[in-house]
Amino acid sequence: MDKKKLAKQLGVIALVIVLFAGLDIGIYRLFIKRVISHHSPGMQKMSVEVGNYVPFTGSENVFSVKDADKLEGDIPTIDGAAALLPIYAGFVESIYPESSVIYNGEDYDPASAMHYTNTRGAYKDIVDGNADIIICAAPSDEQLQYAKDNGVELELVPVGSDAFVFIVNAGNPVDNITIDQIRGIYSGKITNWKELGGKNIPIAAMRRNKNSGSQTALEKIMGDIPIKPDYTALFGSPIGFSFRYYVTGMLGEGGVKILTINGIEPTPETIADGSYPVAGNIYAVYRKGETNENVKKAIDFMLSPEGQKIVEQSGYIPLSQ
Amino acid sequence: MKDKTFIAILAIIMVIGTGVTAGLMIHGYNLWKEISIVEMIANWG
Repeated sequence: MDKKKLAKQLGVIALVIVLFAGLDIGIYRLFIKRVISHHSPGMQKMSVEVGNYVPFTGSENVFSVKDADKLEGDIPTIDGAAALLPIYAGFVESIYPESSVIYNGEDYDPASAMHYTNTRGAYKDIVDGNADIIICAAPSDEQLQYAKDNGVELELVPVGSDAFVFIVNAGNPVDNITIDQIRGIYSGKITNWKELGGKNIPIAAMRRNKNSGSQTALEKIMGDIPIKPDYTALFGSPIGFSFRYYVTGMLGEGGVKILTINGIEPTPETIADGSYPVAGNIYAVYRKGETNENVKKAIDFMLSPEGQKIVEQSGYIPLSQ
Repeated sequence: MKDKTFIAILAIIMVIGTGVTAGLMIHGYNLWKEISIVEMIANWG
């Protein structure tokens, strides 16, 4: 009797241990293994590290014009999208006084004329008056509404362009996708890679935060079609999206590949001639009615041949192409 | 095994198990906040 009871008790103990072990292994395999960074810290902020793009530090990643006229007087505060930091770091190094940029080794000082947040933060900052120029992709409807609600009208001046790209794991055999298939995936109508000629694995359709530059770009592709949450995401093979420059820096490290869209690869040529179907403008955004003359001077520089050369050297597509 | 001993062992295992699971979740959440979508896809074979 006692032996039976003991066996039962040991069985319960073993069962509880096995259940916890199974749960923890599942958490590791489905979640933690996928979020371990094999790169540098702070990768969420961007594929390029902020410390590598600080103006006036002699960084080889910042392309600037040495003999451009420097701004004087009321220096406009500039901010922008994470993925576009190389561009505005180059603009700043070219025309801002060195003393106007204060970097403390980890982030920009609040008193610095250059800040670095992200698309969401930058659009809020330009409306709230905490930035005078931001370099970003097109705003979301919500960001435009926020500006309207605060009585601010935004002027958007295109200063370059880049492709919006869809990425998959390098082991995924699918190489191409169509716009209709993208809409099918993110509306929940296409749920398995076999429908795209791939393996019989669910599609894990990854999304970004609302009002991020790339999520806004996806919403523009989707048009009126609602984006549905993907409840099978944990168990599938992923598809995600970003801007070309943001991804290309990572491609050399392996692990991901960019899909062609309608058979077109996103190259500087296909983006510039419009054959790649989802290219988007990069804008210099400022408040309409801005009285600081330096804002106009800075934007004029961005549109000049020297400014456009910075756009190109930084890895994006200049207007002139 | 006495019932009290059994319950005590079970309680210790539950506490340790819950602690490890919670720790894993917190650790994963902290990693998730730092990782880019590109890296996550690269890890997600």
